[in-house]
Amino acid sequence: MKLKRFLLRYYPPGIILEYVQGGEVKTKSIDLLDLNVATDVDALVEDIRKAEPLITASRKDQIVHLILRLQEKLCQQVDHKFYLFKVLRAHILPLTNVAFNKSGTCCITGSYDRTCKVWDTASGEELLTLEGHRNVVYAVALNNPYGDKIATGSFDKTCKLWSVNTGKCYYTFRGHTAEIVCLSFNLQSTLVATGSMDTTAKLWDIQNGEEVVTLTGHTAEIIMLSFNTTGDRIITGSFDHTVAVWDVGTGRKMHTLIGHRAGISSAQFNWDCSLIVTGSIDQTCMLWNALTGKRVATLTGHNDEVLDVCFDYTGQHIATASADGTARVYNAETKKCIAKLEGHGGEISKICFNPQGSRILTASSDKTARLWDPQTGQCIQILEGHTDEIFSCVFNYKGNVVLTGSKDNTCRIWR
Amino acid sequence: MGLLSILRKLKSAPDQEVRILLLGLDNAGKTTLLKQLASEDITHITPTQGFNIKSVQSQGFKLNVWDIGGQRKIRPYWRNYFENTDILIYVIDSADRKRFEETGQELAELLDEEKLSGVPVLIFANKQDLLTAAPAAEIAEGLNLHTIRDRVWQIQSCSALTGEGVQDGMNWVCKNVNAKKK
Repeated sequence: MKLKRFLLRYYPPGIILEYVQGGEVKTKSIDLLDLNVATDVDALVEDIRKAEPLITASRKDQIVHLILRLQEKLCQQVDHKFYLFKVLRAHILPLTNVAFNKSGTCCITGSYDRTCKVWDTASGEELLTLEGHRNVVYAVALNNPYGDKIATGSFDKTCKLWSVNTGKCYYTFRGHTAEIVCLSFNLQSTLVATGSMDTTAKLWDIQNGEEVVTLTGHTAEIIMLSFNTTGDRIITGSFDHTVAVWDVGTGRKMHTLIGHRAGISSAQFNWDCSLIVTGSIDQTCMLWNALTGKRVATLTGHNDEVLDVCFDYTGQHIATASADGTARVYNAETKKCIAKLEGHGGEISKICFNPQGSRILTASSDKTARLWDPQTGQCIQILEGHTDEIFSCVFNYKGNVVLTGSKDNTCRIWR
Repeated sequence: MGLLSILRKLKSAPDQEVRILLLGLDNAGKTTLLKQLASEDITHITPTQGFNIKSVQSQGFKLNVWDIGGQRKIRPYWRNYFENTDILIYVIDSADRKRFEETGQELAELLDEEKLSGVPVLIFANKQDLLTAAPAAEIAEGLNLHTIRDRVWQIQSCSALTGEGVQDGMNWVCKNVNAKKK
């Protein structure tokens, strides 16, 4: 094994080692999820050296330098004020989901008008309209970090894979017998997973366009799915009250997370794949050990349905959004609620952290999106302008652009 | 509402839940009717650019009513919403005689849709509060409703504005919910 070079990853903080083994270039990552400005760098480097034989004494100074750069990034103040930059008006019916590529240069929108549109974020110009679906385009995704392919999932029961550059449709994935309502690329960008109202999920090979496996076992509609970071596990959440953990390689079900008393609304792995958080219509969130499938904690506090839940990039915090009009922030370690985000005048249907973990973004039926400080629960900014409820909201990777998609047929870029 | 709620309303409705599709030309009064059903304020209603969904309780049923925008350019998207429809309500502006032919054509096309085959249809002859409104019988004849043989149907005169006749129509809806729902 010979070390070639280091790559820096800001969010979540980490150092990627590129090395050669048996003539093949491989990578492995050293996650520094607990890194903060107070971390003793010399002690940390010693720990890394002990654990990682690829890092020899001669590399020490380099590693120190990289960690200092990560620390520098961490203490950059994020007091960015967002303003409405562009209103994207080309859709003639309500939007569904929206997404960015990693660099944030392009974004995509799905709509009831059966198209997915690709936009230039900087100019607001419509680059492409992806036409071909025969019903609502509900789920959209880019294969980040590469960002050269788009997957669209439709109520027409198919999923299509497109080229971001040309708009060419590479494949139409057929096989589901009801609406496709969720999809995801794995981080390795070799597979697309689709979840359907037909109670199954399917994995598709991006290269040859073939179905790899069907994940069967749920007894009601699948409405969300999510890969883990390493891509060897995928979770599916269903109206049957359970979340299933599947082995991606074999399609075998590893665990069924049983405990919620109503349909699942959302579920996600943390970065290091050790925990799964789930949100449910039963008004609670639950934390599960991803390896054993055992419940670790129940996060209570909301007094209406939990509609969305997510980890921050490092997995230290959990944010929950509810039909009760509030959001909450929990510490993933202590499981204690550390902040309550109050102010929305309607249910909150989407919630996410910025990649830095220093801001939370919420989307609500009150037609506003809001930015919050996750530590204090203080509302930092209200993004006003949509004339109907907001269905979706996302940050770009840098955390300095926000995209909101609404029932008012527009998508807005805030920067 | 949110996307998740839309998915929940999308799945085949359980017993005692009825999925009602509200269609008709633009300015027929669909959204006013929807708000009248939900006992909401009807003073500021603008053309629907997409859809509105409301759930109302009636005679032991939960009626999930989907009001779909009727402007010409978005009519081709009506079929986005056909899945699992239990009852079709078609709304006509009884005072807009110039568009009787157009509305009749749209209705005829809907009745030919495979996904709506056999679905009971209620036609609301709306805007009866206007002096120029054509009576329901005249509309029924003009639209050749008597030739509908593949489903149960009913025409009901009403005013979504005053609420008159609306409840009579909904009583018919509850009576004619498919046998499987009972």
